[in-house]
Amino acid sequence: MVPFSHILILAGITFALGVVCVAVRRNILMILIGVEIMLNAAGLAFVAGSMRWGMPEGQIFVLFLMAMAASEVSVGLALVVYLHKRKRSVDVDDFSDMKG
Amino acid sequence: MDHPVTYILLLPLIGAFINAVAGWKMPRRAVETIACASVGGSFIAACMALAGMDGAASVTLYDWLSFGGFSAPAGFYLDALSVTMAVMVSGVSFIIHLYSVGYMREDKGYARYFMLLNLFVFSMLNLVLASNLTLLFVGWEGVGFCSYALIGFWYTVPGYATAGRKAFIVTRIGDVAFGVAIIWLFYLAGTTDIPAINALASSRIPAATATFIGLLLLSGAAGKSAQLPLTVWLPDAMAGPTPVSALIHAATMVTAGVYLLMRLFPVVSLSATALSVIAVVGCVTSFYAATAALAQHDLKKVLAYSTISQIGYMFMGVGAGAVSSSLFHLFVHAFFKALLFMGAGCIIQALDEEHDIHKMGGLMIRMPLVFLCFLSGALALAAAPGTAGFFSKDEILTATLSNGSALYVVLWAMGELTAFITALYIFRVVFLVFRDEPKASPKRLPRIMVYSLVPLAMLALVGGLINAPANWGGTERLSAYLEWGGVAPALKFSRQWLVQGVSASVSVCGIAMAYYMYVYNPAWRKKAAARLSGIAGFLSAAWYLDALYNKVVVGTYVMVSGFLWKKVDGLVIDRSLDGTAAGIAGAGTGLRSAVTGRASTYIMSVIIGAAAMLAYFAWS
Amino acid sequence: MNATIFYILGACAVSATLLAVTRRELVHVVVYLVMSFFSFSLIFYMMGAPLIAALEVIVYAGAIMVLFLFIIMMLEMGKPQTPQKPFIRVWFPVIALGLVILISSVALFVPGSDIPAHGGFISPRTFGQALYSRHMIAVEAASLLLLFALVGALYLGRRD
Repeated sequence: MVPFSHILILAGITFALGVVCVAVRRNILMILIGVEIMLNAAGLAFVAGSMRWGMPEGQIFVLFLMAMAASEVSVGLALVVYLHKRKRSVDVDDFSDMKG
Repeated sequence: MDHPVTYILLLPLIGAFINAVAGWKMPRRAVETIACASVGGSFIAACMALAGMDGAASVTLYDWLSFGGFSAPAGFYLDALSVTMAVMVSGVSFIIHLYSVGYMREDKGYARYFMLLNLFVFSMLNLVLASNLTLLFVGWEGVGFCSYALIGFWYTVPGYATAGRKAFIVTRIGDVAFGVAIIWLFYLAGTTDIPAINALASSRIPAATATFIGLLLLSGAAGKSAQLPLTVWLPDAMAGPTPVSALIHAATMVTAGVYLLMRLFPVVSLSATALSVIAVVGCVTSFYAATAALAQHDLKKVLAYSTISQIGYMFMGVGAGAVSSSLFHLFVHAFFKALLFMGAGCIIQALDEEHDIHKMGGLMIRMPLVFLCFLSGALALAAAPGTAGFFSKDEILTATLSNGSALYVVLWAMGELTAFITALYIFRVVFLVFRDEPKASPKRLPRIMVYSLVPLAMLALVGGLINAPANWGGTERLSAYLEWGGVAPALKFSRQWLVQGVSASVSVCGIAMAYYMYVYNPAWRKKAAARLSGIAGFLSAAWYLDALYNKVVVGTYVMVSGFLWKKVDGLVIDRSLDGTAAGIAGAGTGLRSAVTGRASTYIMSVIIGAAAMLAYFAWS
Repeated sequence: MNATIFYILGACAVSATLLAVTRRELVHVVVYLVMSFFSFSLIFYMMGAPLIAALEVIVYAGAIMVLFLFIIMMLEMGKPQTPQKPFIRVWFPVIALGLVILISSVALFVPGSDIPAHGGFISPRTFGQALYSRHMIAVEAASLLLLFALVGALYLGRRD
């Protein structure tokens, strides 16, 4: 039996890695990937919780999490395509028209 | 409400109000009629009040100020001093109103002029008849304001408005002292009621304080009456129209200072020191002004300095304790000085606004009536024996000599010297203006201007009868009247014949000297003038007093305000404000650098915030 | 659940994610991430949540990562990206931040939860019954969400 806390630690490490990916990469796609990583880590924590207390609600929430991740990725990637069409670049620092 | 006092005060006020509100729409004749009629009505009411006098009376019209322990009703005190003064003020004002109708016949601002004149008469009567010091102060300030407005009547001419301001500010210096005195008297007596203060004077005012209060009252009076050291505004005030100079700066407003001292004589006379200071100030001022008048070119300025000099005599009289003599001289001076100013106005207008006496000449034949009236005024001013001026001035000099102490003997001697100079300067003017060769030919004047000189000329000559001295067989009516009214005790005079003899000879010598210098032997005068030109310059600039004030007082003030402007305001205040603004702008620019527009910056800031919150919750 | 397998799977997931975060070529990133998701899925199965394990592979690794690959190929970003700014300036503060977040959350949530996981097994039947009886509205809402996302993506990606 794996202690509950170890699963949580695993989820935390993965979440921190997702944060690092979002903070440091300049490519918009990499930022979206970092968000996916974070969501996945959260899902792991939810499933662990559901198994800890024996209720299916945690897993139900993970289902919805995946649905939301999917819709978010689809719209986000559509936006990336649009931005690429406008400026021929997916570097997030290039879209600084709101400067000042 | 039926008491004549109401009409004395209300009629000029109503006239001023009507002219202020509707005067600019009404035709000229209507405005003039309203103005003259209101002052005339006031004069009639004053005469009625005089005729019906039966001892001192206090009339309260309504409750004006009343709070705490302080109460100052709109009350008027009618006793011998105030009613006679009111009669004189309203009478002379009426004559001058008639004169103004002719003088200002071509001026467009007639409504404003007559409104201000009426307002002035109202304020002066207020001052004269007030029964408490608060109401008197209201009248005091009112005449000051009207004087300022009338001096600067032609304000579009540069320098005239400044002259008005100068008058107002210089008299303001005296008003401060007067205000302090009022408050002090209220503190000592518990009321500002004049009869009450006079009655309580000896009991409530300690000796040392009496000197101070006396000196404060003297300062206030000196400001209003243009005595040293506050004489500088009166010569500049000649910028106003001549009737204004006649009324305000000869007959009425400038005598308000003397009137104040006479009104509060029981307070002032408590301290012999204060009385002597008053007498000395009066004497020195009259000598100073007489010497200055000797060297003036401008006709009106000669008369201005002459006014200062004659009021100095009145101060000297009060200082010697002779209130009735001062009042006598005040009345007579009002008559002949107003007459002289009005005559000067006639001459100036006839010669097309020419003020320089050296450019006038030979008017004796061309303007005979003006010449005769002016001559009567000049004889009265020079105290030629038999004229009213002789009796009044002489009585003051007698009172001074009778006082006894050595100081007063010196003052008497200076007074006689000043009388000599007075006769000299006024007849210098007479001979230069009327005798000489004609230099310009005079225009025709409206008859009202010339005829209004006549009653004053008569009064100047025969007015001495109201107080003819005992040793000529006269009844000294005015003195007796004032004593009966409880205003001041009559003095016993000694050596009256001596003083009268000296005064008479001094005046005749002065006239003779003027005749010699200007008619008989002008060449001698021209030689002497050439050698004494330095002194002449000194005298004509009035001993450079104005220049001294300009340099010392005004210069210091300008320097201080320049320093405050450039250094304090410019450097300290402006710089601190600009510095604060620049600092805040700099802070804003610094903060702006955080808004890069780049998503990576914003993402980083969100993550930093989240990390901070987590760390806070975890570790504290 | 065999604890050993869990730890091996955990190490695999972490290393795959770490590699995914640090690669320069985008396709490599996606592949490493797929590997990470596979590890996660196996962890889910071993914890007794088979449905979620399946869905992780189908939805995450199968749909979302494929979508990423589509976009990468479409925008022709298969070539290595331009290098980052100097290593130290960029990475160290971020790593520090990540460590802060990790340690803080561990310190917050881990103490007092040293209880073994239940080790039970939730079958798809149980899952489905709970979902459609107690959380029907959430299902409807999620479907609406998917509809909006569909419409939005179609609109944004239109050819004009």
